[in-house]
Amino acid sequence: MRNVGSLARAGLPVAFGLMVLAMWELAVRVNHIPAYIVPGPLAVAEALWSSAPELIEALGVTLEITIAALLLAAITGAGIAFLLAQSRLVEQTLFPYAVFLQVTPIVTIAPFVIIWIENIFVVMLILAWMAAVFPVISNTLLGLKSADPNLKELFRLYGASRRQTLLRLLAPSALPYFLGGLRISGGLALIGTVVAEMVAGTSGTGSGLASRLLEASYRLELARALACFVLLSAAGFLLYLTLDALSQRLLRHWHESARSAEP
Amino acid sequence: MSVTASTHDEGSTAVVLSGVGKTFANGTEALAPLDLAIAAGSFTAIVGPSGCGKSTLLRVIACLAAPTSGRVERRAAASPQNTGFVFQDATLMPWATAAENVALPLRLAGEAGTDIEPRVAEALKRVGLSGFGSAYPRELSGGMRMRVSIARAIVTAPRLLLMDEPFAALDEFTRFKLNDDLLALWQQNRWTVVFVTHSIREAVFLSERVIVMSPRPGRIVEDLVVELPARRDSALRLGHAFADQCARVSQAVSLAMGEDVPERAAS
Ligand SMILES: Nc1ncnc2c1ncn2[C@@H]1O[C@H](COP(=O)(O)OP(=O)(O)O)[C@@H](O)[C@H]1O
Ligand SMILES: [Mg+2]
Repeated sequence: MRNVGSLARAGLPVAFGLMVLAMWELAVRVNHIPAYIVPGPLAVAEALWSSAPELIEALGVTLEITIAALLLAAITGAGIAFLLAQSRLVEQTLFPYAVFLQVTPIVTIAPFVIIWIENIFVVMLILAWMAAVFPVISNTLLGLKSADPNLKELFRLYGASRRQTLLRLLAPSALPYFLGGLRISGGLALIGTVVAEMVAGTSGTGSGLASRLLEASYRLELARALACFVLLSAAGFLLYLTLDALSQRLLRHWHESARSAEP
Repeated sequence: MSVTASTHDEGSTAVVLSGVGKTFANGTEALAPLDLAIAAGSFTAIVGPSGCGKSTLLRVIACLAAPTSGRVERRAAASPQNTGFVFQDATLMPWATAAENVALPLRLAGEAGTDIEPRVAEALKRVGLSGFGSAYPRELSGGMRMRVSIARAIVTAPRLLLMDEPFAALDEFTRFKLNDDLLALWQQNRWTVVFVTHSIREAVFLSERVIVMSPRPGRIVEDLVVELPARRDSALRLGHAFADQCARVSQAVSLAMGEDVPERAAS
């Protein structure tokens, strides 16, 4: 019973996807739709295959910025959350600005950042960071505040220092929340990088995959553009899976979210 | 209401509360000014209706809450450093193993790592959990988690052990077993124990003295000496003497609640 269940869980989405692709290919062929309007999946696969080295290199550039921005968001987000958790007053004063950061579309900030900062890598890093940092801040803040009050009393009873309380109680309590925020931030960092690439208008060798996508679409090489799209989506998905695995691993002994199915 | 005599006339006093009252910032008067002296090495149970201020009283004794009036005097034997506190929930760190949970008070006191291990092993052994040191809380049953919590409270060799309805969440079988084991431990170590419970049977079985509190604001309305032999074991629960003592406390609680009390049948 269980095996059938897990087979279906993995098999059904794949079967569904293949079916959609087959129908797409069929529709394109039957209706003789030209490739510069809608290329079929086989044409996309071919474009992906023929320019794989070049596209994967470009993906590397995009991922480099994404991961750098995500790491930066993880560190600064946790740090900011910790500062905000210090006092209710600090939180009330500063949290609205964090929200501001979240609700402002980064496309609207990009032109300024591009003018003020020369290094294009730094520009993209900043924009991706801005897109990614909020979930880390808000989730970690929530985690810091949800430490077990009885455990807090116990730490007080035993005369724990601020540092001990932070390292031994607050940080572990906030960890599951932080990791939950990070999983969301991974996708946002990728979106931020893609937007930054498109707005910054990088092109040619050394540019990222989103720039390549834009270039290809300008030239009506839609199969190639879609190949870029497929790679970006796959990268986003993989990033999510990686962060999820990291979360499962760090929490496997104790948190409900990481409870494995009973053997 | 008045200063209560210690049951240990010869012993010293561990904690003295004089005119201690507690009113919370929101105006809730949890404790009416009360006086209480607790003898060193004694086992005292506090019973009373829910919300009458038992936890507040315990937190005041533990110096976790400051009284708004009166004075808490803790003799050298019971300074904050050697107090153990056990909550109703086991209150373990879920991310740490049983051994790491037990080691917490020692680590917070900045003790060297090498000294910690044997003391943790000893504490786990005393609560009957040898071999479970590397288990995580979620791998343990409710009763075992409570044992870890007790091991953590006694690992510092405290002089004063404060327990706030520690077994209330457990089933009766587990509770009886833990009662027996706690009593055995106390008889060996003679900590000063203040034990809050809403179970009259538990209070009578464990303690030498039962303090009955009134509904909020909490006052001490009865202070009873449990007339049972000093050495107790589970067989005691079956006897008449035990039932009698339970009835006595029960009657006092009913009076405290302002209920009509039927005459107690002679035994
Ligand atoms: N921090 C607090 N602020 C305001 N009221 C409180 C606080 N803690 C407890 N109380 C109130 O004080 C009363 C006594 O609480 P508590 O000592 O927990 O009672 P018990 O342990 O006997 O059930 C209750 O009415 C409770 O609602
Ligand atoms: Mg209580």
